[in-house]
Amino acid sequence: MLEFRTQGFNPYSVKYSPFFDSRLAVGAGANFGLVGNGRLFILNLTANGIVCEKFFETQDCLFDLTWSEQHENQLLTAGGDGSIKLFDIGVGEFPVAGWQEHSREVFSVHWNLVNKGTFLSSSWDGTVKIWSPEKKESLMTLPVHSCVYSAQFSPHHPDIVTCVSRDSHLRVFDLRTKPSAQNHLTLAVPIHAPPKVPIPGYGQGSVGPTECLTHDWNKYRDSILATGGVDGVIRTFDLRVPSGPVNLLPGHEYAVRKVTWSPHLSDVLLSASYDMTCRVWTDGSNVDQGGNGAGLGREMGRMDRHTEFAMGVDWCLFGAEGWCSSCAWDERVLVWDVREYMGPA
Amino acid sequence: MAAERLSSIVSQLTPGQKPIDTITQKNPDDVVITLAIRTPLCKAYKGGLKDTPLDGLVFKILEQVVRKSNIDPQMVEDICLGNVSDSKAAYYVRAACLAAGFPNTTAASSVNRFCSSGLKAVQDIANQIITGSIECGVAVGAEHMSTGGDRLTRPFVDDIVHSGTQDAADCLMPMGQTSENVGKDFNITREQQDLYAAESFRRAEAAQKAGWFDDEITPITVKVDGKDVTLTRDEGIRPNTTFEGLNKIRPAFPEFGDRSTGGNSSQVTDGAAAVLLMKRSKALELGQPILAKFVGATVAGLAPRIMGIGPSLAVPKILTKFGLTLDDIDVIELNEAFASMAVYCRDTMKMDYSKMNPRGGAIALGHPLGCTGARQICTGLSECRRRKAKVLLTTMCIGTGMGMAGIFVNEQLD
Repeated sequence: MLEFRTQGFNPYSVKYSPFFDSRLAVGAGANFGLVGNGRLFILNLTANGIVCEKFFETQDCLFDLTWSEQHENQLLTAGGDGSIKLFDIGVGEFPVAGWQEHSREVFSVHWNLVNKGTFLSSSWDGTVKIWSPEKKESLMTLPVHSCVYSAQFSPHHPDIVTCVSRDSHLRVFDLRTKPSAQNHLTLAVPIHAPPKVPIPGYGQGSVGPTECLTHDWNKYRDSILATGGVDGVIRTFDLRVPSGPVNLLPGHEYAVRKVTWSPHLSDVLLSASYDMTCRVWTDGSNVDQGGNGAGLGREMGRMDRHTEFAMGVDWCLFGAEGWCSSCAWDERVLVWDVREYMGPA
Repeated sequence: MAAERLSSIVSQLTPGQKPIDTITQKNPDDVVITLAIRTPLCKAYKGGLKDTPLDGLVFKILEQVVRKSNIDPQMVEDICLGNVSDSKAAYYVRAACLAAGFPNTTAASSVNRFCSSGLKAVQDIANQIITGSIECGVAVGAEHMSTGGDRLTRPFVDDIVHSGTQDAADCLMPMGQTSENVGKDFNITREQQDLYAAESFRRAEAAQKAGWFDDEITPITVKVDGKDVTLTRDEGIRPNTTFEGLNKIRPAFPEFGDRSTGGNSSQVTDGAAAVLLMKRSKALELGQPILAKFVGATVAGLAPRIMGIGPSLAVPKILTKFGLTLDDIDVIELNEAFASMAVYCRDTMKMDYSKMNPRGGAIALGHPLGCTGARQICTGLSECRRRKAKVLLTTMCIGTGMGMAGIFVNEQLD
């Protein structure tokens, strides 16, 4: 296990670069991000462990970051002061571009993985905005009317945007539709709805609305998403049958702050939680691994070396399939192999 | 900003916790009330407390605090007196507490926010406990209306009166005029006001007969016309008061209007009340009974000319601060300065009248200005105990255009 200390700053988000197999970025804030500056760390995995190549200082905490898909040295940060900044690792100590339209904290930024020329942001001000790095103003604003903790472009379709928010809904927007009164909204799925197929041992009823803090698209199955939130339960949804979750993965004792599907295995996901653990799960859909297709998910292993809220996890895209990185408020970024923590199947 | 980020993280950790659960939760750092007592409320000028000026009143109530609470007086670090009329109040509370059994290591001060002074005194002590300035304090509300002194002796300086700001000039307005303004501006008729007043008297009479006030009132022995008298009952309650009787009374402020009378306005009264406060952890350490939790209080300002509507601003403000609605409140003590404002506030806020002033109010009991804020806590908590209810809201309008409100949680439910 490799470790890096973000001294004096509490990390919120960690992401591997899509271009370099040994480069990581971490977005952090002083004083647990409640008040004070932010810092963007650019880290390298070397033979001597994790080394900080460079860092950038910002006025307010950084809640999220995303690497550019167009430019290998560039990345975006989501700021607590409502700003989105584009940093270039090779250029000075200041951002090369910035956008200030959100009126409250920006909780997530995500680069379009298919058309690579746009990115989006989501904010406590209840909106998701679509941007182009070449334009000073946002291209589009999607109203959600509730604090949006996480928004993403679908990795399968360049015009599908999803987001999850405090009001316990997963919303799907199709940017190809005409704006109209719906503002591109095609689906609003209540996350707290009871599962379509009852999960034994979990209970049938709806749990009531629960804030949803994170979500992620499956990289192989183009209608599957996972969400995680304040009730500690990870849910998988299939947009073809959107009335309720397909699968429930209970286990975390506190809120789930981040979920991310594996880029290598279609049924595996990783989560980070306020209960200080990062856990690996299968949603049971991989028949080869003993799942039965429609799948009962289960936890496969957990890493509990963090000593504060675990805030971010990201899979390494390159090399062996099990490597990942996690960051937590204990001021540590850990790089580890999930296979070391997986129990018997 | 930082506070909002913090509370959003906290709410992520305690999902599904409703605001009512948050305020009724018991934490070691809560400010709690371990004693809430009051003297009987007596008619000014001719009643049982007419010969007991402010220092005497404060002395008597503080004596009772020491006696009834069994607290080691040394533990009390500060005493705050809410009083309106007497500019020497700070002298009186200091000398009175030393005479009543508190050591000279116990400090004292006085505050004045007119009719809310009693609640402001509670807030003062509570805030000191919350910030760690002190660990234990007593808030007193006391007023000797018989002595008078609650009106200005001279108008404001020219700079203020002729400032061009109507609100500043309106601070000279007598309370009766503000009541008539409320009656006219909001169309509260004479009939509505007299009906309200009759109900206040009826409720107070029923409460007194049933002995409901017995656990709030601490009898005191004072001199009346040279003789020792023990006072045990509120004197303002006129039995068998009817709407018809009230309707015959001539207006009290004919130069301003014809709806407010001596019968549908708060009575001029002498009285005192005291509340002993400390942290919950301290109360458990000292073995003090925990009567209630102080949740919070707030103040709101408005136009002086219609000061009576004060509660209709202060109450929504405090409910919003705690994420509550009136449905979460079990008992409301709304000071009846005048029937005009009581009717306006009750109806505008759509208060459940069965929860509001169930033992009558200042119209029947009296309104010793500085005492009322503390008196409402005594009455409200006693009623919560009787009903086995939890959440008390106290509120009052304030002369010169303000309103104050406080929230308490009764913990004596057995």
